[in-house]
Amino acid sequence: MHSIWVTGRLLSRAIWNGLSNYSTSSADPALKQKSEPCLVSAVCGFSKDKKIQRLLKGTFGDDAWFTAKQKNADVLGVADGVGGWRAYGIDPGEFSLHLMKNCERLVNLGRFQPTNPSELLAKSYYELLHHKKSILGSSTACVVVLNKENSTLYTANIGDSGYMVVRRGKVIHRSEEQQHYFNTPFQLSLPPPGYQEGVLSDTPDTAITDNFPVEDGDVILVATDGVFDNLPQSIIVNELVKVQGERSASRLQMVANSIAWMARSLSFDETFISPFAESAFANGINTIGGKPDDITVLLATVAI
Amino acid sequence: MAYQFMKNIKPEKLNLDTNQAGFSELFVKSKDKHGVILLEDVVKMDLLDQYAENVIEYTSRFNCANSLSYAPANITGKYVVYPSYGDFPDAYFLRSYGKWWVERAAYQKEYMLQDLDPLSAEDYITIQFEIAVIPRDICIYEIYNPGAIVRIWGKTNTGDKSWVVLWEGQPQICLDVSRKFHPQIKIINNLVNTIRLEFNQSHLKYHTSIDAVVLGGYIQSELVNEILNVQLKVEKNQKPIQKQEQINEVSDGKVSPDYFSDLPYEVVIHIFQYLDLKSLFLCAQVNKRWYEICNDPALYQNLSLKRYWHIVNSEVLKTFESKCKNIKKLDLSWCGNEDPTFKVAFTSFLSARCKNLTHLSLGNCHFVKNEVIQFISQCNELIDLRLKNTPHWRISRLDCLNKLVSLDLTSSLIQDNDLIQILKSNPNLKHLIIDLCEDLRRLDHVVEAAAQYTKKLETWSSWKSPSLSFEGAKHFGALENLTDLDLGWCLLTTHPIDSLTKIAEGCKKLKRLILSEWRGVNDSLLLPIILNCSDLEQLDLLGIRSLSAEVCETALVTLKKLRLLDISFCTRIDQTQVELWRERFPHINIPRSCQFLVNYL
Repeated sequence: MHSIWVTGRLLSRAIWNGLSNYSTSSADPALKQKSEPCLVSAVCGFSKDKKIQRLLKGTFGDDAWFTAKQKNADVLGVADGVGGWRAYGIDPGEFSLHLMKNCERLVNLGRFQPTNPSELLAKSYYELLHHKKSILGSSTACVVVLNKENSTLYTANIGDSGYMVVRRGKVIHRSEEQQHYFNTPFQLSLPPPGYQEGVLSDTPDTAITDNFPVEDGDVILVATDGVFDNLPQSIIVNELVKVQGERSASRLQMVANSIAWMARSLSFDETFISPFAESAFANGINTIGGKPDDITVLLATVAI
Repeated sequence: MAYQFMKNIKPEKLNLDTNQAGFSELFVKSKDKHGVILLEDVVKMDLLDQYAENVIEYTSRFNCANSLSYAPANITGKYVVYPSYGDFPDAYFLRSYGKWWVERAAYQKEYMLQDLDPLSAEDYITIQFEIAVIPRDICIYEIYNPGAIVRIWGKTNTGDKSWVVLWEGQPQICLDVSRKFHPQIKIINNLVNTIRLEFNQSHLKYHTSIDAVVLGGYIQSELVNEILNVQLKVEKNQKPIQKQEQINEVSDGKVSPDYFSDLPYEVVIHIFQYLDLKSLFLCAQVNKRWYEICNDPALYQNLSLKRYWHIVNSEVLKTFESKCKNIKKLDLSWCGNEDPTFKVAFTSFLSARCKNLTHLSLGNCHFVKNEVIQFISQCNELIDLRLKNTPHWRISRLDCLNKLVSLDLTSSLIQDNDLIQILKSNPNLKHLIIDLCEDLRRLDHVVEAAAQYTKKLETWSSWKSPSLSFEGAKHFGALENLTDLDLGWCLLTTHPIDSLTKIAEGCKKLKRLILSEWRGVNDSLLLPIILNCSDLEQLDLLGIRSLSAEVCETALVTLKKLRLLDISFCTRIDQTQVELWRERFPHINIPRSCQFLVNYL
């Protein structure tokens, strides 16, 4: 009896891990009349491996994410731990998880400026050093802040995770990818002492920052490369249009789920010409099919 | 009868003036139990619960001021770790635990052994809440090694803004689970929005950590005000009667013969030396002769007011100025932060009484500014100076002193060149503590100067000083008298090269060595220390990821005097191995941080 219960629990945890949904409560229809701008958000994602490694909130495999709310700003962020560190006996998910957790904590304690997300990333990166558990590895990161004062979105992005803002079916902003060379994005890193020289390490100031005003109903997608490498922009936009102006978190959640599912299935499709395959081809590598990767989808709409 | 009547009445209809009689009865009833009227007996009200809004000050901090990990600020806001248990950077983490700090040679010995705090509070943190309430309930989320809180103070928001003890109790031995600590607090009817927690960690196995604090109480309202006004009136009516009774008692008492008059003065003074300050002040009121005895400067050669921080102001200090004609040791730690005139009082005290002053301790005194340092630098006889947590001075004149043996500048803004000047002029310096001094940007030069000028150095403590490099660390090898070397978090990410070998070869007398988070250290670099420093009692290797179980085993076997080996977050060492060691070496304390996640999803 006991064992059944344990399996049941594990099973439900596995499902939880595979398809975790976190909706924010700010989507309450009763709060529709709120005059202050805010973000309604939903999250969905998958770990690349079917095996469960970590049962922590805020992670999908080596990806990590966070959402946080403050008086003056709503913040979303994703980070993708660089998998290459596994060969050195370092868990790549740890770096991204703690990077995001530190961001969340900094926001919750009000130690950040809504107009400067790259500073938030830098502070969070600095905090990693002060963790007693020595955290090693590297990660890409993307942070999006809605400044409530002027309804403007401030963004910072390092590497190939990114965001996309869609207004009435048109992509009005999309982050740029930063790569050293093909499939090697810019990354924040903390290599083991003595390895410094051979490791790619980009400082937090290399983050590309941007800011632009948003309107009521704009849809924001913040995702890791597992999404952008597997889903062509047209498919993503098709999905995002469905939640233009949506204020119900549950409906937002459905679309987030479907984007994540699509990315997941296409990543294992060996015949599909994915954006990743196209980019590989452009770099002289002949490959076809999706790119199996951890997938994180953070979907939000602006409610003013 | 009146009590019943009051309860049934609706708050808005309550006419307090007409019910005064009822109140006084109620007051007398309540007073027997709590000393004040119980508001909740009069009107039903809802408690307002709130989390701490900000941190005002603290004595203990694990990390640099600009970092959030383990920082005091983590005590604010809702709990984030609870109900998980363990060592998390998201909570407030205290720096010391157990007897290890007290047993250091550099530790400040108490100046007045006859006047010790019975609960020996070592550290405190003062936190503020957004809304002032009449406190009824305090809840503290302790998430690692609970049981260190010994006292809770509340600062009344009205009137004289005095501090009141809301709860106090002996340190507790608790289970290794996170807990909500819910002490039964003293019932007071004053508004409070600042509370202070005092800790005594001396019984703990490892650091303690606090996630959040909740203050529950009643908000101020007109109704509450009216009730309190009535209480005041009732109190006023009753007080004179009490006084009269007292007077009667005194006049009724028989005058017993004064044996003290027969004793020689020296003997009387000797007896009085065993009295604490409170008793001395009481005795001074007995008669003229006792008054004179109690004011004898011989009784005030060593003065520690730290325990009385909540009542020490410039007036009190002035009172002592006349008594302390011959003062040698003065401890004003934690004092004077509420009184803006304290700085002036202190400087006048110091300029009048610095002649023989040898020991001075001003921990957490915010009045220590540049001007005060100027006065301190004129106390030529100083041998022991403690300026822990005084971040409001920059201009150091301390190189005027030349007899220093111990110097504690933890968390101050001392700069490299000033410190080097101090080292140059104090060749007898034995203990130097410069933990968390973030303005030391070129610590290598300071170590070099220390190796050159202060050959007698026994203690060097520079916890969390990232400007130290392996080049600087090498110079410790020239300080052969070192017994206590704390270099935690100094060589965080850089490679130590041969600095540990140099230390091992030079400092053979080492008893305590802290190498926390020297992440570049590996087995072969650590081995010289284990083989050369056979006197080692405490070895801290926290967070050194590449250490193997073999080298730790070597340390445990080779170092016969070892009592503490901290291998927390040494991820390559297996927990079962640690359990085996604990059985095999029961005399050695092998702490290991844990993280038990509960409901973390």
